[in-house]
Amino acid sequence: MLDRKLHIGEASKYLGVSIDTLRRWDKSGKLPAKKSSGGHRYYSYQDLDLYRQDIFALATKWVLGKSVEPKSEFYSPTSTGFKERLSKLQTALEKLEILEEYYPLIVAVTGEIGNNSYDHNLGNWPNISGIFFAFDINKKQVALADRGLGILRTLRRVRPNIENDESALHTAFTEILSGRAPEARGNGLKFVREVVLNNLLKLDFHSGNARVIIEGNSNKIKFSTTDVYYSGCLALLTF
Amino acid sequence: MYIIVDAWHYSHFKDMKIELKKFGNLLTSRQDGREALAAINPQLRTLTEREKIDIDFEGVITFTPSWADEFITKLLDQFGDRVTLSNTSNPSVQATLDLLKELN
Repeated sequence: MLDRKLHIGEASKYLGVSIDTLRRWDKSGKLPAKKSSGGHRYYSYQDLDLYRQDIFALATKWVLGKSVEPKSEFYSPTSTGFKERLSKLQTALEKLEILEEYYPLIVAVTGEIGNNSYDHNLGNWPNISGIFFAFDINKKQVALADRGLGILRTLRRVRPNIENDESALHTAFTEILSGRAPEARGNGLKFVREVVLNNLLKLDFHSGNARVIIEGNSNKIKFSTTDVYYSGCLALLTF
Repeated sequence: MYIIVDAWHYSHFKDMKIELKKFGNLLTSRQDGREALAAINPQLRTLTEREKIDIDFEGVITFTPSWADEFITKLLDQFGDRVTLSNTSNPSVQATLDLLKELN
């Protein structure tokens, strides 16, 4: 599947940018499309990943790939290790003057997404326990991923009637969950949504075949289904 | 006599102040929140009914609902409006407290 040619619409979805943006990038040479013998423009996954060559591509590959631990520099097997790395993110962001006083919100959102993975998969990790966590200060990106049970399966413990991944994601990000049994839920993803919307951040979050994109600058939250299935969770936070 | 004893009690009331920075400046996980609550439990048990609890956020940089749910929410459940919060201007503290208000 990874060798397949993608038309511009698919490439747009894969990268999470608009078709117009891809056309501009093609013209400017920032991300040139290839041309088939028939003159049609296309992209390959390799081209798109090479362009990204970033932490999110690495996170995506890990979460979709074979059951192996990520590279040690991106791997937080326990929540204690995650906290140590989160502290490094906090220190790095503190130095960015452009973020001014709102940098703790980026750390808080990252913390909630990461800790969600540990809290909801404790003792139930299907294969690799722990999470992928990396940040790129230059690109202003944070990537997180886990190979856990995913939002649908963990939410069904408190909402057994949830039908599919998209409904689960919708519930997780928009509905207040009051039931505390059988596990504590702090409604952390509602917090994530609010902070992203109110602070010009962007979050691209996948679980199962569902995706949500939350954009602070356009004040939009959009749920959709994807062709690719992510067994756990995958997130890209852009600030 | 009653009045004298009562005055003596008032003069010895000292509200409990919890400085969160003593638990670190990055307060994000449920586990850490639970451990922090366990750490202050002996002091909580000595509180009289009139004593208040002031939670001071000074020095906290990153704060999240997960940590707060295990600590702040539990204190509010147990002590209600005897709990006061101070130095809450940090944006992650504000955002977390906003969510707690919405939930309760």
